[in-house]
Amino acid sequence: MGKHTEVQSHRACTIGLPNGLLYAHYQVLWNSFFAGVGLQTRNSGPTNREILELGNECSIDETCLSAKLYLGHVRSLLGTCDYILVPRINSWGRQRDMCTRFASLYDLVCNTFRDSGQKFLSCNIDAGKKLTEESAFVQMGEELGFSKKIAENAYHQAKKEDENQWKLRLRKEEALYREKGIKVMIAAHSYIIEDDYYGKPIADYLRSLGLIPIRADITDRKEALKQSLKVSPTLKWEWNREIIGSLQMHREQIDGIVLVSAFPCGPDSMTDEIVSRHFAPLPVLRLVLDTQTGTAGIETRLESFADILSFQKKGGLAQ
Amino acid sequence: MSQKKVAFPRFGNYNLCIKYFVEQALNAEYILQPLLTQRTLEAGARYSPDSVCAPFKTCLGSLIDALEAGADTLIMPPGICRLGYYGELHEQILRDLGYEFDFINLSRYSTGKPKDYLKALKRIDPDLSAAHLARVGAETLKMLAHLDDTEAEYYKNCGFEVHHEDYHKTWSRFLAAMETAQSLHDIEQAYSWVKQAFSSIPISKPAFPLRVGVVGEYFTAVDGFSNHFLEQKIADMGVEVHRFMSVTNRNLRYHGKNLQIGIQDYCCYEMGPTSTANIWAAKHYASHGFDGIIHIKSADCTPEIDIMPVLQNISADYKIPVLYLSFDSQTSDTGLETRLEAFYDMIRIRKEGK
Repeated sequence: MGKHTEVQSHRACTIGLPNGLLYAHYQVLWNSFFAGVGLQTRNSGPTNREILELGNECSIDETCLSAKLYLGHVRSLLGTCDYILVPRINSWGRQRDMCTRFASLYDLVCNTFRDSGQKFLSCNIDAGKKLTEESAFVQMGEELGFSKKIAENAYHQAKKEDENQWKLRLRKEEALYREKGIKVMIAAHSYIIEDDYYGKPIADYLRSLGLIPIRADITDRKEALKQSLKVSPTLKWEWNREIIGSLQMHREQIDGIVLVSAFPCGPDSMTDEIVSRHFAPLPVLRLVLDTQTGTAGIETRLESFADILSFQKKGGLAQ
Repeated sequence: MSQKKVAFPRFGNYNLCIKYFVEQALNAEYILQPLLTQRTLEAGARYSPDSVCAPFKTCLGSLIDALEAGADTLIMPPGICRLGYYGELHEQILRDLGYEFDFINLSRYSTGKPKDYLKALKRIDPDLSAAHLARVGAETLKMLAHLDDTEAEYYKNCGFEVHHEDYHKTWSRFLAAMETAQSLHDIEQAYSWVKQAFSSIPISKPAFPLRVGVVGEYFTAVDGFSNHFLEQKIADMGVEVHRFMSVTNRNLRYHGKNLQIGIQDYCCYEMGPTSTANIWAAKHYASHGFDGIIHIKSADCTPEIDIMPVLQNISADYKIPVLYLSFDSQTSDTGLETRLEAFYDMIRIRKEGK
């Protein structure tokens, strides 16, 4: 294969990692995998207004905010690295699907930037076709010119590192449930709540109002998947199942839920409805983020939600 | 035990097939709700989440129609995109509204083992045998393929009829025959009749007529009400209209991997449930000298939004105009007509200029 020898000739190639969508889940695994095989990575950095505008310009206007930001991140990396990693993930197993956007992502990016001359690297996970995460990483390694053995070792090392870091994050997040105060669970996809421009300010603002925000997506994933079926037996999107299962696991320990979705999110458009119906009478605030950048509207809504929660905590109308 | 009264959401002409199947295979009564109207959509939209795709709202409305018409058992199909989750949320919304019914959500039975679907159907008819099911199932699929083939022929020619409504009258008679079919014999007889009848309708068609290919999201492309009868509107301007997307082409005669080979210049993977079929069809129309492509979808349909960059590339490579249309509960007929007229004028002038 000509492609392999070409890469092998300059081993020190750089892989671009767009800081959107899958990055929130995969940053540790990717960074340690590429470090393990001896490649450099280049991150597109935190989302900012410029990234938003770059993405907005080259997106179909109906696409979701997170995909627009992602294209902005990809665009900012064009020409600065040998490959840009754009994985394709279809499903992890039965009733463990991804939103179809993750299945189209690689081809979407290639078609959007086909005149740029940039090379894109895929990583295809599709349980229906027996392509596991491990086989996808090994294949990606082989495509970059490494032997199967090297790629496998790098993957196992990276996976171990990823699991260790995850355990630390999980322990830290779960300690929050034991704190005293008004606890609010933020139910949002990791790529939204970890976004520096959109998601993080929401958690920060809740904190500044004296509440304790806890992320639903940082949870015992296996248990959450199991619990989600109690809330919604046919729910099929992996990440929505993790979030809803996590809400179910902790519903007795929290005072309210803040749902944060990108506009227009396909899975969330339906699961938000299930959450509002299932977890009543727990107060639920639903925030939908779009390309508007003003924060006053969101702040007002968070403030009034905080007022409601503290009013209830004091005994509500019965006080 | 009294017969169950079974209903399925309205979906193009396919309810006739489901009617046949329910009556012949499941020994139950089929409740065919009235045709979809603005009222159906509004009733559905009132109780649906705001930002869910339009077919969800239409289906909810038509399930309410069915319940009002006396249905006591509702069936929802499974699906790869949001469709697979419709059933559960529909059921929840209808129960919260206070309706009483049996709900057969096939998503609960899609385990990968076809045997489990048999379990679902046995809830309607406990005595159902697999052999009987297979025979009626095969007859139903025959009917379905005949409906799709006939409809395809209809839209290719109805714009060129000499006498107004010749095609429409024949098509309506065929649909009525399918609605009352009791056996494979009835189905085949109606099909040979319509073949014959279509071919004897006088048409005046130029040697090289304007040809438009319609691609897009499954439900909206197939269901006339949901796309404001777009195909009829275009055909009436004197255009041959082709649409690949149908249950026959997407499910019965579908081989995704083989279609993928023809479009590998544009995409490496299956991008969504209907993406491969639509990209293939668009490339097929573009490379076969069609004059234009219309891409239709319900607003916010994730998989169809994602193939738009691919369609833009096909459009640029083959120099073929593509009109992109999104439908939701707010779409107005007049606005749509204006855009279609402008598109028609543009492709006509282009063709004359060639």
